[in-house]
Amino acid sequence: MRPARFFLHAALVLGVIVSIFPFYWMIVMATNDTSAIYQFPPKVTFGGQLLVNLDKVFERVNFFAAMGNTIVVASCTTLLVLFFDSLAAFTFAKFDFPGRRVLFGLLIGIFMLPAQLSLIPQFVIMSKIGWVGELQALIVPAAANAFGIFWMRQYIASAVPDELLDAARLDGCHFFRQYWHVALPTVRPGLAFLGIYTFVMAWNDYVWPLVVLVNPDQLTLQVALSQLNRSYGQDYSMIMAGALLAVLPLVVVFVLFARNFIADAVKGAVRG
Amino acid sequence: MAVRLTPVRRPPEAADRVPPRRAAGRRRVLAHWPQYLAISPFYLLFAVFGLFPVLFSLFLAFQRWDGLGPMQYVGLDQFRFLLEDSTFWLSMRNTFVIWFLSTIPMLFLALVIAAMLNSSVRFTGFYRVAYFIPNVTSLVAMAIFFGSVFSTNFGLVNAFLRGLGLGTVPWLTDPLGMKIAVAAVITWQWTGYNAIIYLAGMQTIPTELYEAARIDGAGPVQIFFRITVPMLRPIILFTVIVSTVTGMQTFTEPQVLFGTNTTLNPNTGGPAQGALTMVLYFYHQAFDNRNFGYGAAIAWLVFVVIMLFVAINWRIVRRRER
Amino acid sequence: MELSRRRFIQLGMAGIALGGAAACSTSTSGGGSGGANTMDMWYWTDGLSKNVVDDAVRRFTQVQLKPQQIGGNFKEKLVTTMASGSDFVPDITGIKGEDFASFTPQADRFQNLLDLGADKLASEYLEWKWKKGMTKDGKMIGFPIDIGPTALFYRRDVFAKAGLPAEPDQIGSQLSTWDDFFAAGVQLKNAVPGAFMISEAWSVFNVAVGQAEARYIDKNEHFIGDQDHIRTAWDLATKAIGLGIDGKVQANTPDWNAGLANGNLASQTGAAWVAIDIKAAAASSSGKWGVAPGPGGTANIGGSFLAITRECAKPDVAFEVIRWILSPENQARGFTDSALFPSTPATYKMPALTAPDPFFANQVTIDVLGKAAEEIPIQYESPHDQEVSGPFQTELTNVESQGKDPKQAWSDAVAAAKQIAERVGVS
Repeated sequence: MRPARFFLHAALVLGVIVSIFPFYWMIVMATNDTSAIYQFPPKVTFGGQLLVNLDKVFERVNFFAAMGNTIVVASCTTLLVLFFDSLAAFTFAKFDFPGRRVLFGLLIGIFMLPAQLSLIPQFVIMSKIGWVGELQALIVPAAANAFGIFWMRQYIASAVPDELLDAARLDGCHFFRQYWHVALPTVRPGLAFLGIYTFVMAWNDYVWPLVVLVNPDQLTLQVALSQLNRSYGQDYSMIMAGALLAVLPLVVVFVLFARNFIADAVKGAVRG
Repeated sequence: MAVRLTPVRRPPEAADRVPPRRAAGRRRVLAHWPQYLAISPFYLLFAVFGLFPVLFSLFLAFQRWDGLGPMQYVGLDQFRFLLEDSTFWLSMRNTFVIWFLSTIPMLFLALVIAAMLNSSVRFTGFYRVAYFIPNVTSLVAMAIFFGSVFSTNFGLVNAFLRGLGLGTVPWLTDPLGMKIAVAAVITWQWTGYNAIIYLAGMQTIPTELYEAARIDGAGPVQIFFRITVPMLRPIILFTVIVSTVTGMQTFTEPQVLFGTNTTLNPNTGGPAQGALTMVLYFYHQAFDNRNFGYGAAIAWLVFVVIMLFVAINWRIVRRRER
Repeated sequence: MELSRRRFIQLGMAGIALGGAAACSTSTSGGGSGGANTMDMWYWTDGLSKNVVDDAVRRFTQVQLKPQQIGGNFKEKLVTTMASGSDFVPDITGIKGEDFASFTPQADRFQNLLDLGADKLASEYLEWKWKKGMTKDGKMIGFPIDIGPTALFYRRDVFAKAGLPAEPDQIGSQLSTWDDFFAAGVQLKNAVPGAFMISEAWSVFNVAVGQAEARYIDKNEHFIGDQDHIRTAWDLATKAIGLGIDGKVQANTPDWNAGLANGNLASQTGAAWVAIDIKAAAASSSGKWGVAPGPGGTANIGGSFLAITRECAKPDVAFEVIRWILSPENQARGFTDSALFPSTPATYKMPALTAPDPFFANQVTIDVLGKAAEEIPIQYESPHDQEVSGPFQTELTNVESQGKDPKQAWSDAVAAAKQIAERVGVS
């Protein structure tokens, strides 16, 4: 192997170790007893307590119901975001219309406000429209995601060649067809990224769900798992086991959809 | 503040989508109805779920309110206190230092990693998953891990440093050490994410360019700096802006590492509040101390700070483009 | 899996179908306020014994008691819900001790428990805790759950090695003042290298303030944090730093855990619930610990209350529920199940409390802790007390780890505290 290649692989592997090590340690903690946390130096090998810890989690928390709810919330949020944001982004990227600059500026402004500001007023809104404790309260507000538009607009602007759109327009495609048949297939990597990012964010969200979900049988994963926390004498292994199980679906989703990040030569696109 | 991005390899004039003679006023607006319809879902949702909270918080910044009792109008008092509040200025300094320590290494590393993954290296699928895993793990669950890793006497980092003969660093008690620890966590969590953004962007660079350059005899480093980076400029600008905004809003990482048990500790942000960021301070005032009016004032001042800083950053990166 | 548009549409349909199904099923299961006969009770994990709470559900059949353990930030959820003045406010809620004082100005959001017959029960509870649940004008809004009496948790073997008294009563008589305690700390430092009597100076300061007759703000909402009683506590803490007997380790960090396990942190002055963390961290040294009266007297740190909100439809039933859950017998169960130190002195004589504790070398710890509980001074705690104390902690940390001059730190702390006081409306 040429030296350059070797260094390349070595550097990448080092990066992998740094990236994965905390996750590995999470598995170590989940498979051991909490007393292993208090060992100095800390233990770094697997134990056999995973099922014991998971049992404790299931005893205390309605885990699989929470996972079901989380799957619904994350999936619906992702689909809504992908659709609304890509449509809006396409519009901003490839079309000029009155007020475009102001509206886009407003978008960036929205992006800059700290999210926790809206906790109380959003709860007021939810209680007025009767959505407290319902999953819609998590899905619908999240669909208004300024970052998604920002990202897709930027991606569409560089990835969708104007000639492609011109050709489509000449063929008689109206606005929506241009979006659906021309732009979308071209920006698959950008969409895949936004989709995964949104899914992960929705899955791990805990601040707003803690406040708005009121029924113990109708929680999302992070809120349900937070019930395992005590003020003192935490059973860390149990908490880690729950967290591990909660993160596994995300890894699965990512592995399944990661291939979309690499689009081989776009079929039939006009280039050069 | 619109980010203007010229499409790839096109002369600016040809990007004009509007017909040369613009129809006057209303007809112009009506002619663009598909565009307005396309962006309306987002703005409608925002109008319902975003606008009211924003206006409410602006209103709150002029009140004194603890959430349970009546609101009391106090005019500009909250802002006056804020400008004299040394803890707020400390949080601002902390935020900037942490931003500086995390964003620049992170984006550079992400670019390098993306370039490495984009070259024909085997097992790219595995690497992609591995590098994204930090972004997928919930920090709240990992709090105990990072507390342990950065521990002064038994942490992995210090063990490593001792092995190199460099002595121990009090990562969790020294103000600079704390900021580095927070910056390290941020970098760990978001480098892979940015690398994937760059990777997605690199997919849009036509391979013919690389082939042409290779035929001309360019080496990988030259290709990286002469072709990849310039073509990625818009995306790099994008990540700089996004990292600036989210960096200024850093909240979860310091809270996870240095959030404290309020029974024992009236403050947050760690010893001497060395890791207190602006949004963490806002959260502490609004939800721990229940000074919602003061918290709203902080949040709006943070907004102004972010706007200014983004404008500066944008200017800097754009100037390099010319 | 390649994401073609067809697959995208299929997933979309599936997602919407799932979402629709979920939405339909949730709306039939009822919203937060439920039927007219439900009584919602919110508490944090181990804030009450779950067994006692479950028994209460079975016992009080005139309502449908729905307890909920809220994880995460309890106060954030409670305040957000109460701030929107909605139907989702729980009927009964726990309130943590450090938050309680800040709720007293809004006493009208809660029921006055005296109107519901609480005064008949006053004699069963510790007087200072009972009074703590009241507002300035005599309304009672908090019913006592648990308390946090301070004591000294120490390593018998390390003390013995340093030539210090190692039995609780010996320590109680010989190390009863802070000065004696510090002298012992110096002796420990010299005799056992690497061992510290105190983990961090803030714990000394916090406990000392808790032992004084007043805190940072007086009953008329005037700032008194610059006066002698606070100054004394400050001088004590800085003296400890000056003598070098503090380990500069914050509680509940891995270094703290390690210090307890290997004996470098030879003692902790803290509330009864610190014992739980000590037991977890230092499990390997079980049997080597003891509990003695703390220096300077006792203070209270922590301990919570149960309150009934104004929105409660059936306050009399709610009160019956509360008083049953917090009766002396059930507080004994709370101790066994969730390590809640009872606020009812009668419980201290019950078997659950009088059992020897193997971790503390089979000492009957209630002898020390029960006595400490009864001696806690009655202090006025202002709603803004917590917030105003912040700068003192920051500056003390500056002295401890940055070597800042104590006198400068004191004036900076007082100045910052005064600024905060002005902002929150204290003169």
